[in-house]
Amino acid sequence: METLAYLAPLFHIDVLGAIMLGTLGGLVIGALPGLTATMGVALLIPLTFGMPAVMGLNMLIGIYIGGIYGGCISSILLRTPGTPASAATVLDGYPMAQKGEAGKALGMATIASTIGGLVAAVVLAALAPQLASIALQFGAPEYFALALFGLTIIASLSGDLLKGAISGLLGILISCVGADPISGVLRYTFGVSGFASGFAFTPALIGLFALSEVFTLMERMARDEPNIQPVRGRWPSWQDMRESRGALIRGSLIGTLIGIIPGVGSGTASWISYNEARRSSPTPEKFGTGYAPGIAATESANNAVCAAALIPLLALGIPGDVVTAVLMGGLMIQGLAPGPIMFQTNPDVIVGIFGGTFLATIFMFIFGMALIPLFSRILAVPRHILAVAIMIFCFIGSFAINLNPVDLYTMVGFGVLGWFMQKFGFSQAALCIAMILGPMLEANLRRGLMQTHDDLFAFASGPLTILFLTLTVLSLGWPVLSRFLARRREAKTMTLETK
Amino acid sequence: MKRKLIIGMTLALMAAPAAAADFPSRPIQVIVPYSAGGSTDLSLRVVADTFKRLYDGKQFVVRNQPGGGGAIGTSATVHARPDGYTLGAGAQGPIAILPHLGGTDYTLDDVEFVGLFGRSIQVMVACKGAPFDDFESFFEYAKTKAPQIGNSGAGGANHVSAQAFADEAHIKIENVPYNGSSDARTACVGGHIDAMVASPAEALAQSKAGNMKPIFVMEPKRIDLFPDTPTAVEKGINFTWSSWKGIIAPKGIPEADLAFLREAVKKIATDDEFVKKMTDMGEFVTYEDAATFKARAEKDSKSAERVLKDIGMYGMNK
Repeated sequence: METLAYLAPLFHIDVLGAIMLGTLGGLVIGALPGLTATMGVALLIPLTFGMPAVMGLNMLIGIYIGGIYGGCISSILLRTPGTPASAATVLDGYPMAQKGEAGKALGMATIASTIGGLVAAVVLAALAPQLASIALQFGAPEYFALALFGLTIIASLSGDLLKGAISGLLGILISCVGADPISGVLRYTFGVSGFASGFAFTPALIGLFALSEVFTLMERMARDEPNIQPVRGRWPSWQDMRESRGALIRGSLIGTLIGIIPGVGSGTASWISYNEARRSSPTPEKFGTGYAPGIAATESANNAVCAAALIPLLALGIPGDVVTAVLMGGLMIQGLAPGPIMFQTNPDVIVGIFGGTFLATIFMFIFGMALIPLFSRILAVPRHILAVAIMIFCFIGSFAINLNPVDLYTMVGFGVLGWFMQKFGFSQAALCIAMILGPMLEANLRRGLMQTHDDLFAFASGPLTILFLTLTVLSLGWPVLSRFLARRREAKTMTLETK
Repeated sequence: MKRKLIIGMTLALMAAPAAAADFPSRPIQVIVPYSAGGSTDLSLRVVADTFKRLYDGKQFVVRNQPGGGGAIGTSATVHARPDGYTLGAGAQGPIAILPHLGGTDYTLDDVEFVGLFGRSIQVMVACKGAPFDDFESFFEYAKTKAPQIGNSGAGGANHVSAQAFADEAHIKIENVPYNGSSDARTACVGGHIDAMVASPAEALAQSKAGNMKPIFVMEPKRIDLFPDTPTAVEKGINFTWSSWKGIIAPKGIPEADLAFLREAVKKIATDDEFVKKMTDMGEFVTYEDAATFKARAEKDSKSAERVLKDIGMYGMNK
């Protein structure tokens, strides 16, 4: 009964309007490369100074949810991931758009984001205090083991194992640039102060995926290939939905679990989810060619992370990612201290945030679906103009993030690298995964060994560490094992037949 | 309400002649050397908001230029054109500490100080499950073992402050660097480290929840939020430390414009509404004029230099 009373203020016209505006604004911010959900939330915090707590916070949450979703739009249409969260969506989204199915790809992404968001929101509302303790189990060894497990994705995603391994190792090497996470010594910066924090991540991704694609587009123009003929329609077929069912459920759950672990983030969640969807699919070879379940997997996972990241924030007062750290600032401005006591002192705000998360997800669905025809029209633009437009976006987007001119060199450098990799069959995905996980792997290995005074057994003794290390071994061994099992089954049926 | 408005308007009218010169005739850009959303960024956004209110629509525009622990944005500030239209958020790390590590293209002497508007008080807290829970037991433990103290980054402000305390108290500690203070806090609440340096606001919320216990305050006197927590000074250890937030500028700004900016910072920092908003955010508002601010930065810079030489990090990135 009380809960209902707390929910009532949400349906006040001002509050609904604020959530709606926030979500729409977030969607636009996320769709534009170079503007991220974090920036959107931070820029609008001063606007919420004068608002009541529930209204202000839900507007920020709307921006967050809309922003993470919006990232898929430029990934699918222009191969330009606006945020690391949507880099994995490029893999199947862009080929689908190239086949003329941009509307359907965006439709699938919208549905998947909505399902992922709703699943995590239900978990948030039902189990936040209980699940939050998972966040506390993760010390340095656990993070290390999780990152190691994440890296095994490279083996299954890259096709050619040797080239995949080369890409992955290159990614880890690249992630070593910048200040050493433990001692603070600058590595491989060659005296350029702009590289003191390493290569800026989003500009690197924009170069890797988008600028390299501009080069490819130019090559195609030189060969005078015909333009894409867009197919109308935005709803995935029933067959698409049936094939994506597993990917959606798994993606939502993986996203929720990873979202609870502070500091891992939606980038990792969407890659792991993509890999799991591919692994358990009866037709893994279709992934990467423009296959709807690929989008379902990544987008359900990254939007689940949004709502799930609120779990440790509200229940423990520890933000799970950069955006929730900014949200925490927003809460403190309202004079609220997130943490276990907030459930007792301000249940109205907690319930209000739960409700707002649902509402924002629903608005996101409505706006997303309504705007698809508009967004898809981008592809009707002649290819030579589109190439120039993407190139301009690459530069503006890379500069806008940190206003650091050095980031432009990063973007162009990665663009050339990405183009070469594409041409010679090296996996850009592998490089991207390694760059996401490399820093987490290195810092936590060294921090953990430092804390256990270089005792490897003490380091690898926690149950979660052992779990993830076992998963790593299984994940690497699975292809060999499954081939072995299949052969045995074949042999069995053969012998049965001969009998 | 109406009365407040009238008073406000009268004040605004009275203030107008003082700022009658045409400076500033366009928005003033303030470079924040950290990402949007951190505590420095949020504070500066409140400063910008207050400036706009007090100076009748004249504007501070916050521009985030993160990277290199604050060195990139701070460098951009001190090397900007000194026309008064580019200022910077002055933070302890990039001004007083980073130049000693090497790798910055500026030193403390390149900084023009405008005014300080806030200090961040620091509390040493025991983390969840730590083998000590107050000053006495902490000290007893530190006599035989080295407690693991988390910090927000190698060579950062609370790495230096924890080490400076240990030196002064003649104890051994193990510094565990994290990538930012929220990662360190997560590890602390999860019981993966023994202690960390926290802000009073976060320490209060988490100690009510039983996740942290305050050990001592790094101030000369006890603070209102923690009346029962001792200072290091009263325990006979000559150690105080606080971090700060202010406004800095490149050197060479025209005298009159600099005077206007210094006056503006003073007015903002002593504005009631500003103080209230910042206090709600867990910041400690205090105003210091340019000379006091400069002296504070120089003192911190000296302590940092000594500590960094001790632990062998001095000049390591030269």
